[in-house]
Amino acid sequence: MTKEQRLKKRHSAEKRFRFYGLASIFIALLFVVILVHNIFSKGSSAFMKTAINVDVFFDQELLGIPNNPSKEQISDADLYDVAIESILKVYPASGLDQENALIDLFTIDAEIEIKKALIKNPNLIGKTITLEITASDDIDQLHKGNYPRELPEDRRRISDYQLQIYDTLVEDNKIVKNFNTYYFQNGDSRDPELAGIGGALVGSFYSIIICLLLAFPVAVLASIYLEEFAPKNKITDFIEININNLAAVPSIVYGLLALQILLATIQLPRSTALVAGITLALMTLPRIIIPCRASLKAVPPSIREGALAVGASKFQSVFHHVVPLALPGTLSGTIIGLAQALGETAPLILIGMVAFVVDIPSTPIDPSSSLPVQVYLWSESAERGFVEKTSATIMMLLSFLIVMNFLAVYLRQKFEKRWN
Amino acid sequence: MSDIKIRSKNLNVYYGEKQALFDVNLDLNEKEVTALIGPSGCGKSTFIRCINRMNDVIDICKVTGNIEIDGIEINDKNLDVVSLRERVGMVFQKPNPFPKSIYDNISYGPKIHGKGESKDELDEIVESSLRKAALWEEVKDRLDEPGTGLSGGQQQRLCIARAISVNPEVILMDEPCSALDPIATAKIEELIDELKTAYTIVIVTHSMAQAVRVSQKTGFFHLGKLIEVGETEKIFKNPDNKMTQDYITGRFG
Repeated sequence: MTKEQRLKKRHSAEKRFRFYGLASIFIALLFVVILVHNIFSKGSSAFMKTAINVDVFFDQELLGIPNNPSKEQISDADLYDVAIESILKVYPASGLDQENALIDLFTIDAEIEIKKALIKNPNLIGKTITLEITASDDIDQLHKGNYPRELPEDRRRISDYQLQIYDTLVEDNKIVKNFNTYYFQNGDSRDPELAGIGGALVGSFYSIIICLLLAFPVAVLASIYLEEFAPKNKITDFIEININNLAAVPSIVYGLLALQILLATIQLPRSTALVAGITLALMTLPRIIIPCRASLKAVPPSIREGALAVGASKFQSVFHHVVPLALPGTLSGTIIGLAQALGETAPLILIGMVAFVVDIPSTPIDPSSSLPVQVYLWSESAERGFVEKTSATIMMLLSFLIVMNFLAVYLRQKFEKRWN
Repeated sequence: MSDIKIRSKNLNVYYGEKQALFDVNLDLNEKEVTALIGPSGCGKSTFIRCINRMNDVIDICKVTGNIEIDGIEINDKNLDVVSLRERVGMVFQKPNPFPKSIYDNISYGPKIHGKGESKDELDEIVESSLRKAALWEEVKDRLDEPGTGLSGGQQQRLCIARAISVNPEVILMDEPCSALDPIATAKIEELIDELKTAYTIVIVTHSMAQAVRVSQKTGFFHLGKLIEVGETEKIFKNPDNKMTQDYITGRFG
């Protein structure tokens, strides 16, 4: 082979390699784009909800409360009749069937929405006001274009009569879209138009805080001890191997552990953020110890020697010099560990977080859900409205993860010191 | 003849199975510079690391025999190494300033030993240490800048200032100029010459010329044994031992 041939071969090998690299990056990006597009196109509509303009007449007789009522009197009042009367005026329905069909176009919480308006403004008694009453899930999906109205009537949840009402309302501009506050404020619900991630958000928040409070100090102290103080012998080698193994244990095993120890033996309350936090802490512990030890190891020995040589004790050299230098790496490792914990579903399913929890937990020992479990629950639900809610919740979860990972990178770059 | 400051008797050092020093008997005089020379891996650094018990850091390292400073045994499990290292400062091969400000680099030692209670006292210690290390004029306007931002030679003088800051009696220098250019080396050597009026200095060096320039006494190590020790002039002009002769004339090493 001549020199030119060899050179040519070398260049083409390099070009081939670059092509393979670019191709693999392109494929990876393509999958990300497909995933994100899929989630966004399905999920973004969940942030808006459909409502119907209804003229509500607060009839004092139907309300059965005096003029200038107290707050208690309003909140105790029965607004069912007011709600039904107002809804029936939206479209001229006749007969029980048609009336029921009309009422079914609205959320079952219509009464509560009307009551809220009255509580906000008690002067409305005896007056008429136009309120945006949330539509039922079916109308919501129909209005968002997710509902196949071309299906034969017997295979649809919406009857032809209801479609007729809907079309009339659209023509009259009575159907509006507003921001879906329920999605952020409410807990889970059987009715998709009322279901929200409020409970899951609070549950996830409590779980992660408990996980952080338990795992961070233990992991940091364990890594400092193992890396800086522990003698290097068979026992510490054994511990190190075990920590690495524990980090690779499937998370569902931690769920089984928690089920047996925390729920069956210690009898902590089931499906609570407390148990979730402890379980996630157990799972996260080795995942924090590993980066934590790595960042301690990355501090050059010369820094330790420098401190020891001016007469610092071992403890001083570690806590005055090594730990501050390792802190950025430690923090970013912790945040990434927590981000993993935030997205963890399997162990939480085992400790009962799949329970259907409507109320938003006010303390960590109330039954609650969490974001990934909520995704799992909704992905299994049959109602059409839960499809967009599932995707929207994935979006929420992903955005939390992205924020946490950016924070980790930011902390590392901002506070990392160079020693050369 | 000066007084003996440090005396080692039958000093043996083992790294695990491997013996690094064999029965080293060496006396170091007060307020003098003693140079230790010898080929790589001959045990010079191991020897000076015994003087401030720096070998304690290494798990597998075992030291037997005696080292006395001012007649007091320091190779004693009950001895407080913190106060020993306050008396015996050390400068390393590669400059290793803390990644902190110049000021904090110097004030750290005094602070942990409870010297310089007030800010004024600390300021004074920082200034005098930097002056003694001939660095003050170069850094006085940027004491709050990171010590790692200085040039290599300045960093090494910063480390010398750091060692001086706790007012030690002995300063150990482990090849302090090996990472420096000739100009920076000349400055450090000048500095060593000045420092010997106040401190007992032990310097490990690979440069014969440096040993001649800075030291009064020289010890030659080979394969963990102290082969010969004596006045620097005598060692380099008329050594007793054939091996010393061969080493200083560059026939091996």
